[in-house]
Amino acid sequence: MEFTERELWTVIHGLVLGTLFLLAFGGGLAGLYSLKAQLLTEEGVAERTPRLLIGSVVMAVVAWLTVWTGTFIVYPWYRATPPKGLDLTVQSEALTDFPRYWLLASEKTAEWHKLGMEWKEHVAWMAPYLATAVAFAVVYYGAQLVRRGEIRRAAIIFFTLAFLAAGVAGLFGAFITKAAAVV
Amino acid sequence: MQDMQTKPNGPVAAAFVAAGIGSLVMGIFVVLNEISPDISKFLAFDKNFGLGSGVGALSGKAFLATAAYLVSWVVLHLYARGKEVNFSRWFAVALILVFVGFALTFPPIFEFIVDLFPKAE
Repeated sequence: MEFTERELWTVIHGLVLGTLFLLAFGGGLAGLYSLKAQLLTEEGVAERTPRLLIGSVVMAVVAWLTVWTGTFIVYPWYRATPPKGLDLTVQSEALTDFPRYWLLASEKTAEWHKLGMEWKEHVAWMAPYLATAVAFAVVYYGAQLVRRGEIRRAAIIFFTLAFLAAGVAGLFGAFITKAAAVV
Repeated sequence: MQDMQTKPNGPVAAAFVAAGIGSLVMGIFVVLNEISPDISKFLAFDKNFGLGSGVGALSGKAFLATAAYLVSWVVLHLYARGKEVNFSRWFAVALILVFVGFALTFPPIFEFIVDLFPKAE
């Protein structure tokens, strides 16, 4: 039982960081949603503010790490160019080392690249921008966020949009890896 | 109206709008990359500037969108710090920027826009 270097990075990018992102999103969203003055005592706010802070900061950091590893480590393996002479119209064994070209070699799989990867590789970069804005709002206000309903609601919307951007990227990443894994 | 017991909202509004600007810039470069082979070549920051290896035009798109995000955040922060701004308005702008950015990265939409331009020789 062993991983190749490529498989290991794919697991770190998609599974490890993806799981952390999901956990941080769940914790952060629950924290933001329940941070209402009418629901909490002062002690309650003080007790959950550090958790909210950790959740939102972890989500932002993980989002940056995920897009960085995806773009600069895994993606070059995905789009590697096959040597000259290799038939790019047949999904041959030799073409499996070149996932992008393997997918494009058949009409049945080409959309995984044309729609899935083309969207995933770009929309994913919005997740860290949005998550960082939310983390900044939480760090800036801290416990005072309970008295800033409009910012708390905006943070929930941005947090959810960050999750959607990452979700699109993660879902297509999983499907593409199933269709043509980076190995 | 500011809750007098909290900090002014300007810096947070600036962070939200900057995220929208980063998203929009990513979307714009996705379209420009498809429209112009010259821009596409320029966006290969891995070859042109050594930013990564084998990443292609995505290296430039990611760098420029992130740079736009960070620079706009600094500029907007300097403008809005210490101020209580109309947060609803700033957030509406941020949301519009994010949604347009999202839309421009969606292949059926950017391909539709690309088809409106004459093909390069």
